[in-house]
Amino acid sequence: MSEPLLSIRNMSKIFGGLVAVDDVSLDVRRGEVVGLLGDNGAGKSTLIKCVSGVYQAEEGEIFFDGAPVAFASPMDARRVGIETIYQDLALANNLDVGANIFLGREMKKRHLGGLVQTLDDKLMLKESRQTLDSLQIRFPTLTDPIENLSGGQRQAVAIARAVYWEAKLMIMDEPTNNLGVPEQHKVLELIRTLKDRGVPVILITHILPDAFAVTDRVVVMHRGRKVAEKVTARTNAEELVQYMVGAREDAAA
Amino acid sequence: MRKTSLLAMAAGLVLALASQGAEAAEKLKIGFLPGVVDPFYQVMQLGVEKAAKDLGIDVVTQIPPTWGVEAQTPLLDAMVARGDLNYIITAPTDKDQMVGPLQAAVDHGIKVITVDTFLGDGNYGTGPVKFPLSYIGSDNTEGGRISARGLAKAIGGKGTVYINSTNPNVSSVEGREKGFKEEMAKDFPNIKVLGPDYNLDDANKATQQTAAVLAREPNLAGVFGTNVFSAQGAGAAVVNAGLGGNVQVVAYDATKQAMELMDKGTVSLVLAQKPFDMGYMAVMFAAADAAGVTSLPRRVETGFAIIDKENVKDPAVARFIYQVPGK
Amino acid sequence: MTERASRLAPSHAAAPPGALTPAQRVTLFLSRIWAWVFLGVMVLFFVVAVPLTTGGSVNFLTVRNSQNILVAIIPVLLLGLGQTFVIIAAGIDLSVGWVMSLASVLSALALRGAFNSGVPLFPSVLVGLAAGVGGAALVGFVNGVIIAKLKVPAFIVTLGTSFIVRGVAYLMSENTTVIGLPADIRAYGNDALIYHIGGEGGGLYFLHRPEVGGELLRRMDIILPYPVIVTGFVVAWAMFLLHRTQFGRHTYAIGGSMDAAVRSGIPVDRHIIELYMLSAATSGVAGFLSTLRYTAGSAVIGDPLLLSSIAAVIIGGVSMFGGAGTVIGTVIGALIIAVLTTGLVMLNVDAFWQFIVVGTVVIVAVLIDQSRDLIMARAGGRVRR
Repeated sequence: MSEPLLSIRNMSKIFGGLVAVDDVSLDVRRGEVVGLLGDNGAGKSTLIKCVSGVYQAEEGEIFFDGAPVAFASPMDARRVGIETIYQDLALANNLDVGANIFLGREMKKRHLGGLVQTLDDKLMLKESRQTLDSLQIRFPTLTDPIENLSGGQRQAVAIARAVYWEAKLMIMDEPTNNLGVPEQHKVLELIRTLKDRGVPVILITHILPDAFAVTDRVVVMHRGRKVAEKVTARTNAEELVQYMVGAREDAAA
Repeated sequence: MRKTSLLAMAAGLVLALASQGAEAAEKLKIGFLPGVVDPFYQVMQLGVEKAAKDLGIDVVTQIPPTWGVEAQTPLLDAMVARGDLNYIITAPTDKDQMVGPLQAAVDHGIKVITVDTFLGDGNYGTGPVKFPLSYIGSDNTEGGRISARGLAKAIGGKGTVYINSTNPNVSSVEGREKGFKEEMAKDFPNIKVLGPDYNLDDANKATQQTAAVLAREPNLAGVFGTNVFSAQGAGAAVVNAGLGGNVQVVAYDATKQAMELMDKGTVSLVLAQKPFDMGYMAVMFAAADAAGVTSLPRRVETGFAIIDKENVKDPAVARFIYQVPGK
Repeated sequence: MTERASRLAPSHAAAPPGALTPAQRVTLFLSRIWAWVFLGVMVLFFVVAVPLTTGGSVNFLTVRNSQNILVAIIPVLLLGLGQTFVIIAAGIDLSVGWVMSLASVLSALALRGAFNSGVPLFPSVLVGLAAGVGGAALVGFVNGVIIAKLKVPAFIVTLGTSFIVRGVAYLMSENTTVIGLPADIRAYGNDALIYHIGGEGGGLYFLHRPEVGGELLRRMDIILPYPVIVTGFVVAWAMFLLHRTQFGRHTYAIGGSMDAAVRSGIPVDRHIIELYMLSAATSGVAGFLSTLRYTAGSAVIGDPLLLSSIAAVIIGGVSMFGGAGTVIGTVIGALIIAVLTTGLVMLNVDAFWQFIVVGTVVIVAVLIDQSRDLIMARAGGRVRR
């Protein structure tokens, strides 16, 4: 279990003249929750978008499950089992829970010997319900558009989606933003559930209490560079804040 | 003239029949479906309504908002579907495409009279289209020839002239173009004819097209606008270019605008058709046919009034200017 | 999303954030079905009013009239079908009218060319269909590529291509029409499945016009003309495509959230191209059918139809911002326009009033749509769009 599941080596991402990610290296092992901390603009989102296939890094390598990988699109990343939950959740408001969970990967029924394929809504609904139950998430109805669900409920849908597709690695970008306190707790609970199932999580956050609540390790970024990597239990908030604002930096972290 | 006596005969016959009492048949109902909204058809409508009033006939009128079969056919179909029309008087907007829809009307027991434009070749006796009762309109080919002669005289027998027209495949303007070109070729070989361009019944487009020709041909001597919108648009282009009086315009259709342009010296010749007569006669033909008359002519040419600077003040001529009360 | 008080507590259902009052429920229900109701009320109105104003000599809901209406909706409906898909995906296609014209010209030219070089009639008709729809789909492809790959807004692209298509249609036609087609194709464009002659000596005939004349001909009703049947198939197929297939689901997704669609791995670029090809193809079918009906190609035939097709789509409940709408809604929208025009003629009211009524109905449709959003947002209720 010491071989990291995900290994990022010397990754850099440049937009025009701006170096958003500067020579960052990072490992994630099975069963661990890694916090990725940093202030706004530190490059956290950009880094994980390079891992999830939205962007392609100019420099650096990614190893997943021991093999080198290159993701030309989000689908490539999903195919190897990397599921990402973005800040804006990437959910379609006008579709229901089942449709969102299966978005892009719809289940189909074949007719006329394969000539015609229709959506298998019944099966998708059943599978969705099962997954939500297993995560102990309850919605009163799964067939209405999700646009009127609360923030926490929508997070739950996004998480359920990732879980359903048997993510091998879960990346979550600021999942507790805009949530009420009880819902924040629920999200953190879900992260612990994932960890119990052996699914490693990269948790991007700038909310230190969350990081201390669930992570095993934390990595701090500042202005595109990795400035610290600590075991959570052996650090404290004050120290982390100093790293986050750039007052402190570890060499070759 | 033959036409006038024919008119008088038919009118007398019908009025005589009508005055015998309407017990012979239930009230006739006629549909009137012209081409588009313009002063020419508005005057025609006056004629239709007058005849209907004189003869005690009901008229259902619908005017397409734009020129074209897609606009005219649904209105035609709805009129036929009413089931209570005996005749439809119409100006078909395409001499080939409207054959089908009008044939369907005839199949359903409605008789068709075409005014101003015809179907096929206009010869309902021996031509390819035989089902309409009659065609009542101007002899547009002759009108084209008259226009040619008028324009040639105005420009002194030589130079370059330009035709601006409305829609292709419409019998009326097609005839005018043909007559114009024929006459120029025959009697005025020194006159070069450009065009026609089609403005699709849009006066603004006519203005643009004419303006373009004026810019390209610095020595353009004359313009022939083949109907209401063509003449108005072309005339406006000539005025805008400051060439009023230097470039002679001959206008088909005596709208108020055409007459204003004549006042200003831009238009030298206006051919007034007789839409009122067309409308009136069409209704009378319908009534006559309903009363049993079988010798109605298959084609009636309603003639022109040729208006120029000399006779425009003469009331006998000026009454042919298209004027609709209140418009 | 703003914070809400609901808790995600395990093992009991979350309380609904805000119940709808009965009045709100009724309003929401009405807002979904108002177009149907309006159509029904309008039909009823004409059924009552027409005989009244004509002293009983004219009836509105006759067999002939209902078939007329079905024929009348064909161009607007076909154009509206493609438009429905495109607008649900938060796009718009302003070129449909001129694409229909181009297809009319292309199919006429191809048909005439094939027939004149010895190809029998029916295959020539198929050649015409292929040319019309194929040419149209090509325009759709170009639209889609520029919109998806070059990221130019759909409004601008389709406006631009509409001008180009218009020019091409004019140039390829012979002074805006293409005539000289074999006269027999009129049967394809105007014949019907069933002919019914009522009364004495009458009966039911199928597939071809019976050769009768005079009184029998006068009493003949034409039921289900072939163009109506073709359009019916296209509508059924569109319904299936939009509501039962992955393609339809992805169309809604792209309209609901382009971001979500992209990040879910949906091949958005390819899908957009396919949508605009679909929109152009249905316009192509409309152009082809019009060539059959009038036995001539016309480069101007589609011009007035663009705005009517958008009106039909809006009345039918498609949101201009994307993500919502149905095929049946567009059918209702097209029917409303056609029933209105026909009814006005039957009432002998100037048909120009149809423009005023349609415009009003469109604005009402948008207002109802917006009020529905307001009710939903305020109450936090969950209602299927």
